[in-house]
Amino acid sequence: MIYDVPKVSPGGDRYLLIEFGNEMNLDLNFKAQGLASALTGEYRINGVIETAPCFATTLVHYDPDLISYSDLKVELLRLFESLGSSEDIEVDSRLFYFPTLYLDPWTTDCINDYRDKINPEKEQDPEFVARINGLSDVRQLVRVHSGTEYWAASLGFWPGLAFMMPLDPRCRLTAPKYNPPRTWTPQGAVSMGGMSTAIYPVPSPGGYQLFGRTPVPIWDPQKKFPEFEGDLCIFRPGDRIKYVPCSKEEYLEIERQVTEGSFKFNIVDYQRFSVGNYQRWIASLDLKSRF
Amino acid sequence: MINVIETGLETSIQDWPGRVGFYNKGFPPSGPLDSWSFRLANILVGNEEGFAALECQFMGPTLKFEQDLVIAITGADMQAKINGQACPLWESFTVYAGQSIEMSYAISGARSYIAFCGGIAAEPTLGSRSTFAAAGVGGLTGNALKIGDVLPVESGHGEAGRRIPLAARPQIEQQLTWEVEAVAGPNDDWIDQQGHDRFLSSDWRVSAKSNRMGMRLEGPDWTFTNKAYDKLPENGSEPANIIDHGYPIGAVNLAGQTPIILLNDGPSMGGFINPYTVPQCALWKLGQARPGETFRFKSISVEEAQLRARQINTLCKGCEVNSVT
Repeated sequence: MIYDVPKVSPGGDRYLLIEFGNEMNLDLNFKAQGLASALTGEYRINGVIETAPCFATTLVHYDPDLISYSDLKVELLRLFESLGSSEDIEVDSRLFYFPTLYLDPWTTDCINDYRDKINPEKEQDPEFVARINGLSDVRQLVRVHSGTEYWAASLGFWPGLAFMMPLDPRCRLTAPKYNPPRTWTPQGAVSMGGMSTAIYPVPSPGGYQLFGRTPVPIWDPQKKFPEFEGDLCIFRPGDRIKYVPCSKEEYLEIERQVTEGSFKFNIVDYQRFSVGNYQRWIASLDLKSRF
Repeated sequence: MINVIETGLETSIQDWPGRVGFYNKGFPPSGPLDSWSFRLANILVGNEEGFAALECQFMGPTLKFEQDLVIAITGADMQAKINGQACPLWESFTVYAGQSIEMSYAISGARSYIAFCGGIAAEPTLGSRSTFAAAGVGGLTGNALKIGDVLPVESGHGEAGRRIPLAARPQIEQQLTWEVEAVAGPNDDWIDQQGHDRFLSSDWRVSAKSNRMGMRLEGPDWTFTNKAYDKLPENGSEPANIIDHGYPIGAVNLAGQTPIILLNDGPSMGGFINPYTVPQCALWKLGQARPGETFRFKSISVEEAQLRARQINTLCKGCEVNSVT
């Protein structure tokens, strides 16, 4: 459900959490990002240090020496109201193209290693995700997963890790997380858990279902590419990502360019995302169809 | 310059308030767990209170000095010695070129801070020198100190023989049961009345599986309100699961039935509820508590928590540093 008035609660003496509803719904994320972006842009509130929008909430970090909890709560609710309905929200949104080798050998090795060492019953992730989503086979999984732009709903848990939601409702998929989790996952693995897609920024343990890999880095503390100059990570909330299926040869060539430092990121940066336009577009779709 | 001869247990460079402003990208602030002791160490050596200094955990390092330098050690007592002679705590003193400070295990508290006059001159990353080892960011090389590391120090003006009065220091010594302040929220309405009563009346044991990301507690089970059960599937299957949301630093994060208090290197978001949050004024206690010690939580209001944080700020800022003589 989407709350008529957002629920505001304290997180200790320096944080405040605004909750816009209690479901996974892009509209809630637009509200969360709309408020966060207003707070860092034209409607700064004195005492607000930073914000962290998530799927249905915005966390606000504030300085209690500059504003009290109760004043901040009033100001935030007033600001939220002045932003109007989510239809009026427009945010800057870059579009990234990520070449991706679906059904790649490296995540397959990782899944097989898990089957050997932890759970021999674990179905191969691509087959499993295709089956539980009613898709005919893994080729349709690739078609559906790569058939939409993804919305960076939130970044967190690990620096630069973006949780992405499909913008085209015909490409919605769900997948439960591994239980127990994996002990390792290759960097760049393209994966899903719940309703979100994520790229693993570094080799790490994990629980998302794996079905592809991108050679393009999303996190770089060495700042080898200018895209990482600002904050070592490529994405920010409100970015859009398109996975472009590639061959193994293309993958290896891009990987070589990345290692050598000659790789060029494909980023489109002139668009604003209009929630109203988006909503009008999805209202025109046949939501039952798949690619 | 200072040479690292022995590292101690994950001794790291930290500054205060740390890497603030990148939480929406997933960067935790890092910085000292006991910022009260940390700030006082800097004040003793004439630095600004947030300058980069060392955080030592449970077992301190051995450092060899290549220059005369005014330093101060605060927080846990790790039995620092120069040539077998005990160094003072909460007091600035001079270490001469060629001398080494040897530290051992903590006999009270868990974390010591060593501030050097001028501060450690590591290259800042995203505005901070704090080490966030999990992602290899900050400090000298993105990690805790290694044997053979050389710490560069900025020049500064400090005096030996200054001491922090007892009344301005955190009371670390020999606490076996800590009273820890907690503010209800953001998800207090997911816990039923018995659950709240149990949280506030039970002894919670600090687990050895604690680190700079989180402090794990052992205690009774939690019980929930209807909100924890009557929810959409995207919230997750366990009662303590919620749609991923941002985590305040200090959040009492309920991972299934195990509360983990999220500390300075903790995850910025995730899918568990936070029924309580430990406020700023009590975070130093989490930095100084040792595994096996117990916590009793005391519920206070947001305003009371803010008042107590202000009192600590006043103690640090207005601290009348005495001359030892």
